[in-house]
Amino acid sequence: MTSAVHLEDVRVTVRDRVVLEVPRLTVASGDRVAIVGPNGAGKTTLLRLIGGLLETQQGRVRVLGRRLSREAGGSSGASHVPIPARERRSLRLETGLLMQGLHLVPRLTARGNVLIGALGRLEGADVWRSLLRWYPAECVDEADAALEALGLASRADTRADHLSGGERQKVALARLQLQRPRLVLADEPTSALDPAATARVCAALMSAVAGPGRTLLTVVHDLDLLPRLATRVIGMAAGRLQWDLPIDDVAPPLLNALYGHCPDIAPESGLAVSSLPCTGRDFHADR
Amino acid sequence: MTGLQQRRPTGLTRWALPGGRAGFAALVACYAVLVAVCLATLAAAGDLSFGRNPWDNLLKTVGEFARPSFLDAWFGAERLEYRSDDGTVLRVENRREVEANFLAALARAAWVTFQIATLGSLLAALMALPLAMIVARNLRAPRLLAWAAKGVLDASRAVHTLVFGLILVGIVGLGPTAGVLAIALHSMGTYGKLFAESIESLDMAAVEAVRATGARPGQVFFHGVWPTVLPQFVSHHLYVWEFNIRDSTILGLIGAGGLGLLISEAVSLFQWSRLSTLLIVVVALVVAFDAVSRRIREALL
Repeated sequence: MTSAVHLEDVRVTVRDRVVLEVPRLTVASGDRVAIVGPNGAGKTTLLRLIGGLLETQQGRVRVLGRRLSREAGGSSGASHVPIPARERRSLRLETGLLMQGLHLVPRLTARGNVLIGALGRLEGADVWRSLLRWYPAECVDEADAALEALGLASRADTRADHLSGGERQKVALARLQLQRPRLVLADEPTSALDPAATARVCAALMSAVAGPGRTLLTVVHDLDLLPRLATRVIGMAAGRLQWDLPIDDVAPPLLNALYGHCPDIAPESGLAVSSLPCTGRDFHADR
Repeated sequence: MTGLQQRRPTGLTRWALPGGRAGFAALVACYAVLVAVCLATLAAAGDLSFGRNPWDNLLKTVGEFARPSFLDAWFGAERLEYRSDDGTVLRVENRREVEANFLAALARAAWVTFQIATLGSLLAALMALPLAMIVARNLRAPRLLAWAAKGVLDASRAVHTLVFGLILVGIVGLGPTAGVLAIALHSMGTYGKLFAESIESLDMAAVEAVRATGARPGQVFFHGVWPTVLPQFVSHHLYVWEFNIRDSTILGLIGAGGLGLLISEAVSLFQWSRLSTLLIVVVALVVAFDAVSRRIREALL
């Protein structure tokens, strides 16, 4: 197989400020990659770029063997070739997104939201039935099983706008599981969860990418989770990739340097990081 | 203030209002001048009079209103004799029978009014839906088309139901058809505005999320847009429908069917007790519908 994600000479600017600059990045299919770094490092921008929610002004992006950037060939920047709608849709189907900017449909139940994940792979008459929110029985069973595994079985018939933040996060994950994507992009998948829920979500996330050739890219802040979610870690700061190492080579000093020399950020430390006076980097919102 | 800086420059029609407290005070002053001019010119023309003896007229009218005619259907005289000045009996009338007949006619007219409001509202909603989808900014219809649709909606909202009724009576003739069409044409503007606003208040992040799963466009609409927008549409529909029940009661004035014909009859014959009965029916109709529609709207939230 070819690489799942391939970036070359990518540069994203927002109002003349370079928020992301990646000369070269390749993620092999089947890889488990975690991206770490302080707020404003460009981690979310990178994920949105790969997920197709953001377009490059410059550079080439290939995801799952398809070109995402609009420049034809890359030599002349002026000739824009829009991606055909069909190709765009099949790429969306194969890319599972777990991001804060992507909400649940508020008036649908938890189960209804999970079933949305199955929409893209329905075929034939099931497509028409799905317009009335009528799904094949095996999809419904799969949705219930996914909710059950995340401890949400009793909330399946609750409307999404009545769920808590953590529950919504889990429902979004269950939706992604039904989508069966080949590439999963997860932006802080455990940000609103308690420790027990974090373990469940990690297990669900790993089962979502359990098949052969399935790739996982995660942005994590909880450094304890690194060994569970990744075999390869990319450190980012100031819009650039700082280092790219196998998980076993990631040492506390590296992370400390990345997060701006905070003494207690090392994975083995139990201290609350947020209470420490972290300085040295301005605090940008991550979206 | 930053409010002025954040305002988007959108074309020719947006006015730059003076900002701050002084600007608002200037606006209030303009309004006060306008009201004063209205009052002064009316007074100067001598049109601000209450007639010759308003109090007597008021008491007389209230007195007749206080005795609505429908009571006569049960308590009226069974032999009411109309006599001339020299005492000869001109005509004998059974008040109970006459008022019972009037009540039957009133029930039929009320039903026609309800029919006009119901069919007119439905027709208006169906016509407004595509226009609202064109007008709603977040669905990104072509700019020129959106302007045209907005023009149609604004015009239909600006022209009163009665004016549409007068025009339509000339085209389709007297009767409920003209009423239905008049209601439909006017309410279309109201529906269009309300529908477009509820589409614009949609959570686009949820729609984007459905699209991101690889769903087809139709699936995105029926899973991301429709569940959120439908309850609001139903709520708006009930609201405008109720409004139209009130509105259609006067359509009869111009011959477009319903209660209005009876109202204009009662008014021109100075039968205030009958007008009282009619108004009681109108109020009962509107209050009953309001109670039902509020229940439904609450259940939908």
